[in-house]
Amino acid sequence: MPAALPHPELVAAIPRLRRYARVLTGEPSRADDLVQDTLARAWEKRELWRAGSDLRAWLFTIMHNVFVNQRALARRDARNVSLDGDESGGESWQLSVRATQYARVELMEMMQQVGRLPSEQREVLLLAAVEELRYEEIAEVLAIPIGTVMSRLSRARDKLRRMVDEPPSALKVIK
Amino acid sequence: MNALPISDADLHAYVDGRLARERLAAVEEALARDAALAQRVADYRAQNAGLHDMLDPWLNEAIPSRLLAAATQPANVRSRRWWPALAAAASLVVGVALGWFARDVLLERGGTPTTFARQAVFAHVIYAADARRPVEVQASEAQSLVNWLTKRVGQPAHAPDLSSMGFQLVGGRLVAGNEKPAALLMYENADRQRLTLQWRKLPPGNEETAFRYAVENGVGVFYWIDDDCAYAIVGRVDRGQLLAAARVVYGQLAEPKK
Repeated sequence: MPAALPHPELVAAIPRLRRYARVLTGEPSRADDLVQDTLARAWEKRELWRAGSDLRAWLFTIMHNVFVNQRALARRDARNVSLDGDESGGESWQLSVRATQYARVELMEMMQQVGRLPSEQREVLLLAAVEELRYEEIAEVLAIPIGTVMSRLSRARDKLRRMVDEPPSALKVIK
Repeated sequence: MNALPISDADLHAYVDGRLARERLAAVEEALARDAALAQRVADYRAQNAGLHDMLDPWLNEAIPSRLLAAATQPANVRSRRWWPALAAAASLVVGVALGWFARDVLLERGGTPTTFARQAVFAHVIYAADARRPVEVQASEAQSLVNWLTKRVGQPAHAPDLSSMGFQLVGGRLVAGNEKPAALLMYENADRQRLTLQWRKLPPGNEETAFRYAVENGVGVFYWIDDDCAYAIVGRVDRGQLLAAARVVYGQLAEPKK
């Protein structure tokens, strides 16, 4: 039986969807397009949502799929340009923290360090540490086994630790 | 006792507040023994806090109208077929809400602890929303806070430790009760979610109760009576997390420190 999605919960989820979209795309302008596509897809797929289950985790799943599909299309279009480097993900990931009261120097550095993580590790880290999804939910969102969730999380955190210990000098010259 | 060795997954679950309760003691014991392990956990926690500092401000940005529009059911998926089901669901919700409300009114007249649970929700909503001054006495003065609350509420107390769930004590305050004041302790996690633990002395002769759960406008409350004292733990978190917190509190209050 088709059901309507709960509108207040959908609206309440938007700020977190926008945040994760920025993490995924690395670009605020593309991020809102991704959120919009995700909401449209959620309405199309509303019959797949089990009422009472966590709407947010379901929306993250949709967003991840939309993003992966769009990226695959974009890559096919650009395959003559570059085939390598996509797993490192860091090059295109340039989230800028605008000059606001919360853009402290350490945060800028941390943002850059997170940007240098491979995208698949960054996604798991953000879903666990910031979106605070359960590991099982993360496995569902990303369609990977839970063991992979744990190993990616572990690698992401240990890489960040090492970066803090020895920040590469190249980072310092980025404004 | 021969516990399983601490795995990587245990450490991450510990940092993320997802560790199964039965593993908690083993992990904390290992952390106390192994300074390098403890440093790793501290570093992971600092990463989590840094990520929140970095990314949480985005949550407060105004939502663009095109996204609000996208959250509204599009015209092309609207269908008349749903209206009967929707109407039935809505009337059920209204009925349940009315029933709950009527029950509260009746129970309040009877002076049962439901009054307390609702008051606890109200107190939580008022003070947890207060970014600057949610408490009267800060956690840094924990001992005088506990002494003061014990004296005013008339029930010996200590502040339970919820750090295993990622919640740290912020401080406490007195809140108005029906006849006597109630004590309120506030906890906060790295995501700035807040939990309050509240308790109030009851007249003698109350039966102990199991945990009871109620939710009002998205704020959940677990409440129970133990030793002529009514307790409530309140927060805008999911039921499972709140229940876990209630269990930790209950377990710690059952074995008073010192």
